[in-house]
Amino acid sequence: MIKQSIIENVLEAALSTGGDFSEVFIEDKYVNTMELQSGKIEKSISGRDFGIGIRIFSGLQCIYTYTTDFSEAGLINAAKRAALAIKGGANGTIHPLQKEIIQPIHTITQMPRTVEHARKVAVMRKANDIAKNYDERIKQVALRYIDEEQNVLIANSEGKFVDDTRVYSRLSIQATASDGIEMQTGFYGPGAHAGFEFIENLDLNHYAGEAARIAVTMLEADECPSGKFPVIIDNEFGGVIFHEACGHGLEATSVAKNNSVFANRIGEKVAPDIVTYIDDGTLPNEWGSLNVDDEGEKTRKNILIEDGILKGYLVDKFNARRMDTEATGSSRRQSYRFNPTSRMTNTYIAPGKSTPEEIIASTEHGIYAKYMGGGSVNPATGDYNFSVAEAYLVKNGKIDRAVRGATLIGNGAKTLQLVDMVGDNLAHGAGMCGSISGSLPVNVGQPMIRVSEITVGGTKGE
Amino acid sequence: MTINEFQKKLLAEAMDTGFKEAEVYYKKSESFRVMIFKGEIDSYETSEEGGLGFRGLYNGEMGYAYTEKIEEASIAFLINSAKANADVLDEDDGTDIFEGSETYAEDDFYSEELAHVPTLKKIELIKSIEEKTFAYDPRVVTLNYCMLQDFSEERVMENNKGLSLNEKQNGLIIYISAVVKDGEEMKTGSFSKMTRDFNELDADAIAKEVAEEALSNLGERSISTRKYPIIMRHDASASLLAAFTPVFSAENTQKGQSLLNGKVGEKIAAETFTLLDDPSHPDAIAGSNFDGEGVATKKREIVSNGTLETLLHNRKTAKKDGVETTGHARKPSYKSTLTIAPLNMYIAPGNKSKEELIASMEEGVFITGLSGLHSGASTVSGDFSLAATGFHIKGGKIASAVKQMTIAGNFFDYLKDIEEAGSDLKFRPGGYGSPSLVVKELSVTVD
Repeated sequence: MIKQSIIENVLEAALSTGGDFSEVFIEDKYVNTMELQSGKIEKSISGRDFGIGIRIFSGLQCIYTYTTDFSEAGLINAAKRAALAIKGGANGTIHPLQKEIIQPIHTITQMPRTVEHARKVAVMRKANDIAKNYDERIKQVALRYIDEEQNVLIANSEGKFVDDTRVYSRLSIQATASDGIEMQTGFYGPGAHAGFEFIENLDLNHYAGEAARIAVTMLEADECPSGKFPVIIDNEFGGVIFHEACGHGLEATSVAKNNSVFANRIGEKVAPDIVTYIDDGTLPNEWGSLNVDDEGEKTRKNILIEDGILKGYLVDKFNARRMDTEATGSSRRQSYRFNPTSRMTNTYIAPGKSTPEEIIASTEHGIYAKYMGGGSVNPATGDYNFSVAEAYLVKNGKIDRAVRGATLIGNGAKTLQLVDMVGDNLAHGAGMCGSISGSLPVNVGQPMIRVSEITVGGTKGE
Repeated sequence: MTINEFQKKLLAEAMDTGFKEAEVYYKKSESFRVMIFKGEIDSYETSEEGGLGFRGLYNGEMGYAYTEKIEEASIAFLINSAKANADVLDEDDGTDIFEGSETYAEDDFYSEELAHVPTLKKIELIKSIEEKTFAYDPRVVTLNYCMLQDFSEERVMENNKGLSLNEKQNGLIIYISAVVKDGEEMKTGSFSKMTRDFNELDADAIAKEVAEEALSNLGERSISTRKYPIIMRHDASASLLAAFTPVFSAENTQKGQSLLNGKVGEKIAAETFTLLDDPSHPDAIAGSNFDGEGVATKKREIVSNGTLETLLHNRKTAKKDGVETTGHARKPSYKSTLTIAPLNMYIAPGNKSKEELIASMEEGVFITGLSGLHSGASTVSGDFSLAATGFHIKGGKIASAVKQMTIAGNFFDYLKDIEEAGSDLKFRPGGYGSPSLVVKELSVTVD
């Protein structure tokens, strides 16, 4: 993308004022987005993102600059301007760049850029028809298709020199149901670190059918009661609760500065024995997977909590300095515009021994959250909230009426202690996670779990 | 190749290769951001960037493409991509490129004075805010965000119909979040401000505000779960308004995605509720003299004393509804197609101060913050169920902070239940404004 000699000169210019580490991140990304609504392809845009991020460390100070000017002079100037933030010192040392060849874990068989639009559109139309024909109350279907080919090159003053291609494909389906008075929606958005083969092989009857079914079910649903209940959270995207409730609190971004309830607690019991929590960026072709992270480190399987004991954090190169530990292949950024930091990849609760039938049958009175919406957390306090897209009452060990408008709130560290059943049906779901280094594809996953008590906020009284 | 040469060549080549109409939109920007942690610069970021969006009418359809790589080879990429995108569209609404409005307002969104504030002065200010926040109270244990950011940008829009517009904008943003601890209880409080006047930033006042905001959340108590009368503080109200803004978009009513379909001219809210959009409100920092299609923007009443006066339109939705565009086409970036959004939408203020509103409430809940707006608010159904922070009001006084809670209701009912608007109109950095509002009731669930 840019000549090696230029990269070396930039790394050197970045250390001209005494910095002790410099890094260049070059990104060349192709994006296609298409939208279908009211049965028509209404939007279609293609583009190319191209820019360079330069990062310098000087002890516990981090300087970042980015530019779209790819001329050698422009890049050297950007590096020198950034270096000015460091107050004097001897020139840092540059180790000769050693090209690293990575063995890609994620097979891509059809690069999206080589696939003509018509084939992508055909899948969208098919999904639209399935959702639209599900029920006469489905009044609108909105589909969004996106593919991305992100080519990155990462080089640093320690001699690292690695490039990678990440390919993402996603189809999001939103169905709206109406009975003439009220409207409700249902959503499903499968995505993968894969090419067009993923889109073409999607089980559209399942995904588009589920989006439509959720919308219609919610139209018929009662208002959700408020209060404290045992809550059963189903597998797959249900894992968003632990993504919010404890995943963010295990990122070095908050741990390094003691801004997390999980800081300084390695080796402590933070959850019941049945809980093992893992972040694994190596799962083949999963939405949150990468060959190497955005610092060029190989991704890995990081055990965060094992049998209830806190084992580790997600650490990036810069925060590793403050924490006096090693980076974990977890440094990510949305694009060259973002200073990278520790983030999740595919995070999940490991499967347990209970069957989903057992979990429901042993719950006398509670809430069953079949599909989750999104949520957020205040990492300093651990207070989280998230919405339930499809919920049911559970009565005497059986799933009862559907309810809508449920929001779950609580404190991550406390909720984690209250997990009392873990199912055997682990699955992963795709989502986008927003934080300080931008919006990133992540998987959240879990088997069905039960929490003995969560506060449920609804519109109906207790 | 300079950007001017690139633009000229691109437009010329587009017209030569089968496009009937074509437009380029170029934006370049610079930014600076510094974060402080315990007296030291923790992170220091600068940027210089630019990118170009192209759209053109090809065989009757509007094709889009963009690039951030300004070089000769990108011209073919843009033209071929835009053609391929035009080819798959199913639109038949006669969408086209705009030749320009007769006149444009000449409001200025750029301050030379701000552009010349030395970096060192900005760093001193943010360091001093951190120091003063720590010094304000021993219960302040850390600042998990202490950030100052400034930006300047220039947008240029040119098309083959002779339209040529440009606009510069700059601003400075401060965001602070303080963590306070008392015994085992830990709370946060934040402060954010966007301005073009560096001199109005007073470190003592900001430190006091953020520290007090966090400290006030200590001493939380539980109250019973039920419906309560509500006072929504200006910032909580503005964030709820921002989340539900898509209901006012004609694009959404036309697609059956908003329950305001067919409601223009009807009463949709309480008499006390007036909603405006002012592209150059002096208290809001974002603004523009032209919209994403090049249409001149102007101040408008969207809801007037409860009656829906107009939806937000671009040229395409206006044509479909047989009305004039309201200048609300939005192009958030050269990377986007056109959407619809307001510039500085705000709820008109009333007469009483926030304190007077609280004093006149026997019992209720005063909401100061909302979270989960991206997932707990449905613009299609109007339902919302959101995590909230706030206080219990008893006998016209703040009794205590309330434990984490949710508030739930339906936005369309909420609009009808607004009983009074306070006098404390404020804008969020994102461009939405509101005074504090008294609302008849909402369901409150307390942890």
